[in-house]
Amino acid sequence: MKKVQVHPERCLGCRQCMFACAAAHSRSQEAVGALAEQPRPRARVHVAAAGRHYLGFPNRCHHCEPAPCLLACLPGAISREPATGTVMIDPDLCINCASCAMACPFGVLRYAADWTAPAAKTVAIKCDNCLDRQLAGRLPACVEACKTGALTFEESDVALERKSREVARSLAVDGERETLLPPTVALLLEMKNGLAASNDAADQ
Amino acid sequence: MDKQAEQRTITRDGQLLLGKMAKEQVETVWDRLAAQQPQCGYCEMGLSCRICAMGPCRIDPFGEGPQKGVCGADADIIVARNLGRMIAGGAAAHSDHGRDLVEVLAAVAAGEAPGYQITDEEKLRRLAAEYGLETDGKDTLVLAGELAAALQEEYGTRKGYLTMTGRAPEKRRQLWQAQGISPRGIDRETSEMMHRTHMGVDNGWQSILLHGLRNALSDGWGGSMIATEVSDILFGTPRPGPNTVNIGVLKEDQVNIIVHGHNPVVSEMLVQACEDPELVALAREKGAAGINLAGLCCTGNELLMRHGIPVAGNHLMTELVIGTGAVEMMIVDYQCIMPALGALAPCYHTRMISTSDKARFPGMVHREFHPDNAAELARELVREAVENFANRGETYIPVQAVPSVGGFSVEAILDALGGTPKPLIDAIVAGKIRGAVGIVGCNNPKIKHDYGHVTLTKKLIEQDYLVVDTGCAAVANAKAGFKVAEAIRYAGPGLREVCGSLGIPPVLHMGSCVDNVRILVLAAALANALQVDISDLPLAGAAPEWYSEKAVSIGAYFVASGVYTVLGPLPPIAGSMNVVKLLTEGLNEVVGACFAVEPDPLKAAELIMGHIEGKRRALGLTARD
Repeated sequence: MKKVQVHPERCLGCRQCMFACAAAHSRSQEAVGALAEQPRPRARVHVAAAGRHYLGFPNRCHHCEPAPCLLACLPGAISREPATGTVMIDPDLCINCASCAMACPFGVLRYAADWTAPAAKTVAIKCDNCLDRQLAGRLPACVEACKTGALTFEESDVALERKSREVARSLAVDGERETLLPPTVALLLEMKNGLAASNDAADQ
Repeated sequence: MDKQAEQRTITRDGQLLLGKMAKEQVETVWDRLAAQQPQCGYCEMGLSCRICAMGPCRIDPFGEGPQKGVCGADADIIVARNLGRMIAGGAAAHSDHGRDLVEVLAAVAAGEAPGYQITDEEKLRRLAAEYGLETDGKDTLVLAGELAAALQEEYGTRKGYLTMTGRAPEKRRQLWQAQGISPRGIDRETSEMMHRTHMGVDNGWQSILLHGLRNALSDGWGGSMIATEVSDILFGTPRPGPNTVNIGVLKEDQVNIIVHGHNPVVSEMLVQACEDPELVALAREKGAAGINLAGLCCTGNELLMRHGIPVAGNHLMTELVIGTGAVEMMIVDYQCIMPALGALAPCYHTRMISTSDKARFPGMVHREFHPDNAAELARELVREAVENFANRGETYIPVQAVPSVGGFSVEAILDALGGTPKPLIDAIVAGKIRGAVGIVGCNNPKIKHDYGHVTLTKKLIEQDYLVVDTGCAAVANAKAGFKVAEAIRYAGPGLREVCGSLGIPPVLHMGSCVDNVRILVLAAALANALQVDISDLPLAGAAPEWYSEKAVSIGAYFVASGVYTVLGPLPPIAGSMNVVKLLTEGLNEVVGACFAVEPDPLKAAELIMGHIEGKRRALGLTARD
């Protein structure tokens, strides 16, 4: 079964996945309409700044099995959709208690008003794998928006196999790690490293 | 001490104010930078294009996603177009600043600018002669009018060249001609850059970048040079004089007025108004000991250079100055004024005033200055600032001001040398001074505030390299204490001896960021005296903490003029290795100089010293390995 796979080493931090996700979860399901809506639609994927160099890290629900949030949900608002394994939240049942957020190891839950919830009610929101889009034969919105392959929609074993091959290729004969990065990205990272190291030296 | 504040700036006043404002939960530029992380990698690499409505487009640097924009432009073209437009933005800013000064000159000539006058008549006559005007026996104001018209003509000139490029060495001018990068008009080159980078025009990444050099030259030997020369004519050519710097220049017991921005047209009128006996008396009546005018950024540098007016700080200090609670009024003109200031000021009692018809800011009161109303409006504003003194709450001015010496125009440097560049050349030939480095440019919160400027400067003077500086770099170095005669103790033995005998500091404050042209004029004078090209001289430039489009234009005209230039932050070019290679190597073949990028100031110092020693070797002078 295909799933959204995250490859943080490819993330450029442009946040286009966040924008596309929020738009896809709006009532109008497109960007311009979404911006005019109340409540404002929220992204379910979040690009965090990782490490001292502020590299992008796309963080989204892993739809764990077993799912700690599902086990922690007192009113039974969280359930698993059997066909895709997607962990879903029922906004009508959610009581905004934050138990799921406390249980979640990845910090992907947010609380906000949402057009699918009763008016003015704050509910837990997180990734739903874009099930509606998938049913219509479309890619999840975040994957569609990502142009660098930091988010892909594929079978887990296919993704893992490709990653194994890449890691193997990155080991040169003498055991030195070869960079997998294209020279342009390597240059940017080198400069960011240099800047961070210089600022570190300045702190001494 | 607040650890976060210590990580953000090396300056004591900055750290203390940051700590105070963090406690008060007042947001600053560093907080907004943190909130923006991670910043978009496409944009950091120059790989996003928003030029047309078939886009926006971006190129996947990993090679699997799109490699061409909708129009077909690849990474090289997109990166070159983006950089070209940055140069155009910077050249336009400097040159439009210059135009505003020429308009004041024209208004003075027409008798329509009360409060303004011709202060350096000798320079007026010298420049008029350079423009081929008949000067003998001509009335000053008549000549000023003719010169203003000739300078205005440079912006859209039909003669096909800029008069002041004549100051460059003959070899350099021939090289510009041969490479097709001789600037043909100030507005023309910026306008042509916008044309070339329109979809479907210039799609040769090399030719776009070469035009970028021409565009930058139209700034350096055109718009900026006009700005500096006309400022000198109107307000006086700077002479060395003492001043003080850092937040300690604010006075607990006086009405503090800050001018911020770039153009001396507004700030000069405030200098006069603050000395008005009637307004000073009013300040005393309101319980203040007097009226204290201080500057920020480059309009501050303009006043420091000509009047010794104190400077409170550079770009990253602009918010922190308001955090003292001791500023009755901040009056801004344009460029580098963070729109955040308008929202910050109400946290304290500071009144914010915008003054330029082309620069408005949220949360500021707009009081427009024109040559005909400037003197009167300046008095009105100072009166209002004095009245605001009563609204002052608690103040926090935690440091003592640092003394510094400014005012090193080319004329002043030559005077200090006894009228000719020969003593400087002799010192360079003898190896007492290894060479000269222009350290210029902004602050950027990505680099620890002032660390780049101060670390690089300290390293270079220790090793006997003379430093001249402008802009935010100049303020950083003044705050570090490098600009008093006693600062020769930081210098190596050779530089200490030369500066000591001349009674000058080892770091010479040459002015604001348009005043980088003073460095060009000095370099040209040295080259002409030796009958070589600028690129043959043991010189280098550096912009260790640059952030603005203007800095990109400055860097490009330095390089196009033959000066090797080291940038701190990487410009948005990493997306094209072709562009990177051209700018950091290939330009040597084209203009005899290139860029380097090195965020670590200690490593940048090594690059610069290596370059200068190489130039010394080529000239047959002693060279260090």
